[in-house]
Amino acid sequence: MSAADLMGPTDEATTLPRRKKRDWLFGIGLTIVVVVVILAAIGPWIAPYDPTAVTPRIVEPPPSLGEIPGLLWGSITGTLEHPPHWMGTDASGFDIFSRVISAPRIDLSIALAANGLSLLVGVLLGLLAGYYRNVATGLLMRVSDVLQSFPVFISAMILVALAGRSTVNIIIALALLYTPIYIRLTRAEVMSQKVRGYVEAARAMGNPELTVALRHVLPNSLAPALIQASVTIGFAILLTAGLSFVGAGVRPPTPEWGLMISTGANQIILGEWWPSVFPGIAISLTVFGFAVLGNALERRYDGG
Amino acid sequence: MTAAEAPMLEVRDLSVAYGVGRDAVRPIDGLSFTLRQREIVGLIGEAGSGKSTAALALMGLARPPGHIVGGQVAFEGRDLLAMDDEALRRIRGRDIGIIVQNPRGALNPMLKVGRQIGNAYRAHNKANRGDGKRRAIDMLRMVGINDPERRVDAYAHELSGGMAQRALIAMALSSMPKLLIADEPTSGLDVTIQAQFLDQMWQTVQETGSAMFLVAQELGILANYCDRVLVLQNGHIAEDAPVRQFFAAPQQPYSREILRLEQDTAEGGIASGGTVKAGAEPLVRITGLVKNFPIKGSSKVVQAVHDVDLAIAPGETLGLVGESGSGKTTVGRCLVHLTEPTGGEIRFGDRNLSGLPATALRQMRAKLQIVFQDPYDSLNPRWTIRRILREPLDLHTELSRGEKDSRSRELLEMVGVDPGLIDRRPQGLGAGMLQRLNIARAIATNPSFIVLDEPTSVLSPRAVVGLVDLLRRLQRNLGLSYLFISHDLTTVRYLCHRVAVMYLGQIVEKGSVDQVFNDPKHPYSKALLAAHLFPDPGQRRVDRQDRRELEGEIPSPIDLPKGCYLASRCPSAKPECQARPQELTILPDGRSIRCWRVATGDLADQEGLQHAV
Repeated sequence: MSAADLMGPTDEATTLPRRKKRDWLFGIGLTIVVVVVILAAIGPWIAPYDPTAVTPRIVEPPPSLGEIPGLLWGSITGTLEHPPHWMGTDASGFDIFSRVISAPRIDLSIALAANGLSLLVGVLLGLLAGYYRNVATGLLMRVSDVLQSFPVFISAMILVALAGRSTVNIIIALALLYTPIYIRLTRAEVMSQKVRGYVEAARAMGNPELTVALRHVLPNSLAPALIQASVTIGFAILLTAGLSFVGAGVRPPTPEWGLMISTGANQIILGEWWPSVFPGIAISLTVFGFAVLGNALERRYDGG
Repeated sequence: MTAAEAPMLEVRDLSVAYGVGRDAVRPIDGLSFTLRQREIVGLIGEAGSGKSTAALALMGLARPPGHIVGGQVAFEGRDLLAMDDEALRRIRGRDIGIIVQNPRGALNPMLKVGRQIGNAYRAHNKANRGDGKRRAIDMLRMVGINDPERRVDAYAHELSGGMAQRALIAMALSSMPKLLIADEPTSGLDVTIQAQFLDQMWQTVQETGSAMFLVAQELGILANYCDRVLVLQNGHIAEDAPVRQFFAAPQQPYSREILRLEQDTAEGGIASGGTVKAGAEPLVRITGLVKNFPIKGSSKVVQAVHDVDLAIAPGETLGLVGESGSGKTTVGRCLVHLTEPTGGEIRFGDRNLSGLPATALRQMRAKLQIVFQDPYDSLNPRWTIRRILREPLDLHTELSRGEKDSRSRELLEMVGVDPGLIDRRPQGLGAGMLQRLNIARAIATNPSFIVLDEPTSVLSPRAVVGLVDLLRRLQRNLGLSYLFISHDLTTVRYLCHRVAVMYLGQIVEKGSVDQVFNDPKHPYSKALLAAHLFPDPGQRRVDRQDRRELEGEIPSPIDLPKGCYLASRCPSAKPECQARPQELTILPDGRSIRCWRVATGDLADQEGLQHAV
């Protein structure tokens, strides 16, 4: 065998310049996601104030630009009387900065748990539906059609309203609504993979059917669902916040972005924009980060 | 061909580069050759050697980000590369036509094919839409499309691959170009259609004094139609020889390698992987195999395989040949029970596979293996080679982890793959090497029988030679039996002891390779062999007087005729053939044939085509 045989046709040269540009965007997405994940892990501990404790002061943000270096220095050395309120406080006297950086814990864990649950269930059902095409799996597909035909947000509101406003219920409601996407994606991929030569080869080698499905077809059918998951996390965060915003989510005074926007909304007409705008920016950045990351993964999977 | 013909295309130092500066790679680097009037020149080279890039560059084109960086392409004395775009556009399509690979990708899915052909014609000729359409109909008829008045209004997706290819050819020829550049124009076409098209091209070139530059992967095409052969290596022409000289005395190591088997066979060298003991008890015996596929929403069935009997002795290779749709692949799949037969019996050794429970069948698979057509598709893309080769050992042996590893390395050495690649994934490896890995996996558990389902059909000529060598060597060393399914009669001749010809799910003729190839008796075998392009410039198809083909379309495998399946297309059919079902009869010389006229001596031999191999 010669080197030419080994390499096969490649067009590395044609994809190089474009990939660089994408990597730049991918880097931003990744940075945002990493920051959010870190905040979810340690946010409440690095917050200067207890996010659910009232401070005696009501403060407007932001400190003028000239003050920032002094305040920074002060907060590092601990010489200030009390830590600065970087984003001011809301009407109840909660420190907004502390709440904004504590919120990922609740938002991200709901989104992750719901997503993980629907991914797991959806992929397994999708494998079943794609691998065995019979009356039962046909019925499964019709049920997921019905679930998908309602607007996600309305369905989530109704489900939570019926089941009660607990974190577990929110997770289950979101998981139920996102599962059909994963079923559909996985099923389509399984259907195209199961007729491929390597699957036939696995069968011809003497693998039992279940082994063929789990060891050969499943791992090769995961990519679309995983890519979808990275995008869906962003939307799940948005949905969690949305539920809280309309009062169907977590209860106050839990630090949660949607809830903060909601409680701050009343003050906007008074000209007090900061209780709502800062958590709003936080949500936007987070959703953007996950979406960019998801797109980058998708392009990478498609082969650039 | 005389050297006195005027040069039509003179290429000097043509170079195409990808990238700029020091990182630039030059797939075409200093390409020089001359193409004369009334000449067909074939270009051959390894996969990835830049054949398609060269073909495009002859029109002054390069696929982005590639660009032509130097040289001259003089067409009738004018350098195409020095022309402005406007002048070039007038020449492209009118004076130089191009046919690319992947016909469906090259046709616009939104436009009727007739419009596309008409547009191509109108771009270079004063004509209105009606003229364009009339021209399109004429061209479609010329390239052999039935009912062109109707097909002219078809969209690309309504055409079969072969028809799309012919539509593309019609488009390229619509303005009667002086030079036609064709990049593997017949890949994916059936042999009979391939021969028809190339015959037509050859004739056009001879009659109109045009010329053709033909990128080809098949030695048969080069031998039968080309006047000269160019070998592309490292971006330039490494060998430029008249076709007879090329086949008789190839100069380059690459040329010698791809022609080695052909020369061995011509000199009477061993044609297969060893001798078979006469009178040995068959290892595999298929009796009365039937496979019907139900049609959804109908009580009718597709009769893919109909009453097939085969026996394969230990150490023997049986070739199974026929056009696409003849049911040969289905026979192979039924044999290893990847498809459940509708009826008939398959015995392997002393066991009947059909009655076997699932677990027993799975155990049998250690001894009964299959290698598929598409090597790119047959290996799990996520697994390393180590894991791929370990899988059969995990399933069928009790070896320890270390023993499995050393067995895997041993297997890689047996099939000629560097064991250092054991931790790589299949992605990025060439087709030839992937097919070797498939074979390594198939022989891992020491099987005695392997179904080879068109294993060479996507390989380059050089990889085919390597694979044939390997299969012969494994047969000699391991005593393997093969069922070799292929439409490529050349490879069948290299590898098989006996051969069975299939047509519409039935075996029509069965005998030794010598019998069937040198003296085919059944009208279908005769036609198949006559259409096949053997790589022998001494027996050029274009030099033959009689180039009779089967006429008409293959009957649908849903509503099969009552009598002989071939009757509607057979040149020697008699009225009785329509009504009389055909039986497979054994002739005195040991071959079997499904034609009552041959069996009863009613069909005399002078009607047949002689085909010496």
